[in-house]
Amino acid sequence: MSSILRGLQFYPGKTVIHRLDPRVKLLISLLLMATAAMYIEVTIITIVIVVEALLSTVAKVFSRWARTVYGAAPLIILVFIANFLFKLSMPGQTLSFQSIYESLQLAYRLVAFLASFSIFFLTTTPEELGMALTKMKVPYMYTFAFISAIRFTPILAEELQSIVDAQKSRGLELEKGNIISRLRRYIPILVPLMVNVLRRSYELAEAIEVKCFGAKKNRTYLKELKMTTKDWITLSVSITLFTIAIYIRYFSRITIP
Amino acid sequence: MIIFENVEYIYPNGFKALNRINLEINSGEIVALMGENGAGKTTLLKHLNGLLKPTSGRVLIDGVDTRHSTVASLSRKVGIVFQNAEDMFFSPTIQEEIAFALNNFNFPGNVIKKRVDWALKFMELEEYRMKSPFLLSGGEKKRLAVAIILAWSPDIVALDEPTVGQDVLQKEKMIQIIKQANQQGKTIVISSHDVEFIADLRPRIILMNKGRIVKDGPCEEVLTDIPLLQECRIIPPQIVSLTSKLDFLGFKPKLARPEEVASEIAKRVRHLVKYS
Amino acid sequence: MIAVKTNDLSFKYAGSSEWTLREVNLEIREGEFVVLAGKSGCGKSTLLRCFNGLIPHFYEGEMIGRVEVWGLDTREHPPYILSQYAGMVFQNPDNQLFALTVEADIAFALENLSIPRDEIRKRVDQALKIMDIEELRDRSSIELSGGQKQKVAIASILAMHPKILLLDEPTSSLDPFSAKQLIDAIINLNQRYRITILIAEHRLEMLLPYASRIIIIDNGRIILDGNPREIMEKHDVIPYGVSIPRIVKVVMQLKKTLNYPLILGTPLSVDEFASILRRWEDK
Repeated sequence: MSSILRGLQFYPGKTVIHRLDPRVKLLISLLLMATAAMYIEVTIITIVIVVEALLSTVAKVFSRWARTVYGAAPLIILVFIANFLFKLSMPGQTLSFQSIYESLQLAYRLVAFLASFSIFFLTTTPEELGMALTKMKVPYMYTFAFISAIRFTPILAEELQSIVDAQKSRGLELEKGNIISRLRRYIPILVPLMVNVLRRSYELAEAIEVKCFGAKKNRTYLKELKMTTKDWITLSVSITLFTIAIYIRYFSRITIP
Repeated sequence: MIIFENVEYIYPNGFKALNRINLEINSGEIVALMGENGAGKTTLLKHLNGLLKPTSGRVLIDGVDTRHSTVASLSRKVGIVFQNAEDMFFSPTIQEEIAFALNNFNFPGNVIKKRVDWALKFMELEEYRMKSPFLLSGGEKKRLAVAIILAWSPDIVALDEPTVGQDVLQKEKMIQIIKQANQQGKTIVISSHDVEFIADLRPRIILMNKGRIVKDGPCEEVLTDIPLLQECRIIPPQIVSLTSKLDFLGFKPKLARPEEVASEIAKRVRHLVKYS
Repeated sequence: MIAVKTNDLSFKYAGSSEWTLREVNLEIREGEFVVLAGKSGCGKSTLLRCFNGLIPHFYEGEMIGRVEVWGLDTREHPPYILSQYAGMVFQNPDNQLFALTVEADIAFALENLSIPRDEIRKRVDQALKIMDIEELRDRSSIELSGGQKQKVAIASILAMHPKILLLDEPTSSLDPFSAKQLIDAIINLNQRYRITILIAEHRLEMLLPYASRIIIIDNGRIILDGNPREIMEKHDVIPYGVSIPRIVKVVMQLKKTLNYPLILGTPLSVDEFASILRRWEDK
């Protein structure tokens, strides 16, 4: 589970991919995902995954990207089994090579899906993400809430650990007991955590108030996203490739293995 | 009896917080751990009840190796009052909050009642018995945190920065509580960077710097070693700084009460005597 | 110029039966360095919040009397206007920074005020320089030490060019060494840039030598207000939860036992005391 999470965390670097405008990266991820959605054929899906692997190599985050895929394996196997069983339960279906193959294709496609966003998150800082949201005219209030959530997650994680330590030091044993009693044992963890979050929110509200949050309707920004030539080129190449993919799928007679 | 044998602790991120710690604390002692933030004080405290286990070496609490015990069982003997202890409250009433640990440690019902009553009295919180812990003032919350730990009467009481954010009256009260608990036979380990508070308490001091123990001795010795204190980024108590700057009057840095220093100054500055 | 002024200020938080502030009358002039002292819960923090409009606009309750900040009535102006005159720095280093880099945190208030980008850049550079934290510009504020975070917090307020700085126990979670560094930086702001300082604190030994005034509050009322030296000399402040620096205790002893000449005054720092005695010894 944690390897999936790590595949979604920003990994610093100065590669070409890192320096692309986050909106372009977001679009690339969406296009890759859309391509994987349009096609079920193994060849195409493999091409999509290879493209993603190449991108991650250029961004020097290949091992982390691969770890996401690896970490998602249990989920993928689960989807495969679920789909296969579902197929079997349909009237008239028999255990055949065809149905196994179809379920495999579905599961394989899921890999391409999951992996497509990993690149985006691995190479985009939360700050850039915030700037992208602003540029896309998302009201600042939401961008701020989003960035705050990202920023305070590690702090809350520490706080959670602190609470667990304190309660363990009062004799609380979390591993003991059956399901019901175990859930009850989490009350001394969850209540203080919630109180902490509430108190923190209040102090934050004060802090942003004294920093004039919401004072003016047309907020200015120190940093702004600007598309560079590289961004435009990458954008056009991606859109072109995607258009070709649509054409092949819907408008031509080419069959694909 | 607390023993640290060649203890090293390396955090998962690779940071070595404790480096070859060797120390012995006897029953009934009052010991202060001093050092700047990051020197390893809190890390060391967490080794006392097994929250952290050494990555090499071992910690023995009354002969029991912490690596082979649970936090719950060690906590029965070692009570730690954490710095932000107020962040652990969750019960509807103070009474229940104090009883929580006693229930966890399987104290019989009638004993729990007695202990809760005693703790409330000792920390002067009786009038708030049925009050919600969240409605207490900052100072009262701190008292509750101490009450919670003292209620199960651990042999060893550890306090992590007990004077942060407190005013002078609250600090005096804290000193009294510590002395009383010590008189009842408890071993006290305090982690603090409040030099004046520690100077008033006069405990044995273990001075830490970058994960190592750099000095271990009586208060008077450690707090007058100005060069070492500076190296550890600790500001000496004012009286020590004063006496060290009065070398032209024949003073050597020392830890003393204001009255003693005053009469010494009076003796040595003859011109002042002329005015009397 | 009068920085802040109150007339018979009383305040009671909504839902509370007790008045937190009672008939407070005070006047602080531009350039002063004022320490607010008193035991926990005496009303220091509440009083500070009256000077930037958090009371009565952010906190609900009943306010009687009048508060003026740089001539502006706090009832008539919202916090975002008043905060540009009186900036506030809070106790907890973790809950007043929320951007992902130090630079972004310092720019935050300016962005909210729609200040043009070039001006923002200038002020951010300036604030980093004044607080001597230029090397922290691109760092993530999460990784910084407590003392560094507080410096960033102050810088983020300085960027608004306030005339007054309100500080609510800014060093309480810091170790003494970092606390001293922070206090030195605050003293610098007052001495070099003439920013009026109003600071609530328990750690008085480091502040008293530089404070021009100490105001002791007990139960919502101003008990003592004046020059720190005189107050320490003439009054017993411990019952009000105010700590007396040890050397002052030494001086008080000298006076009792020895008719210590009052013309020497009450030294508030070790260096002062040492030099006074040295002068006498040399005579």
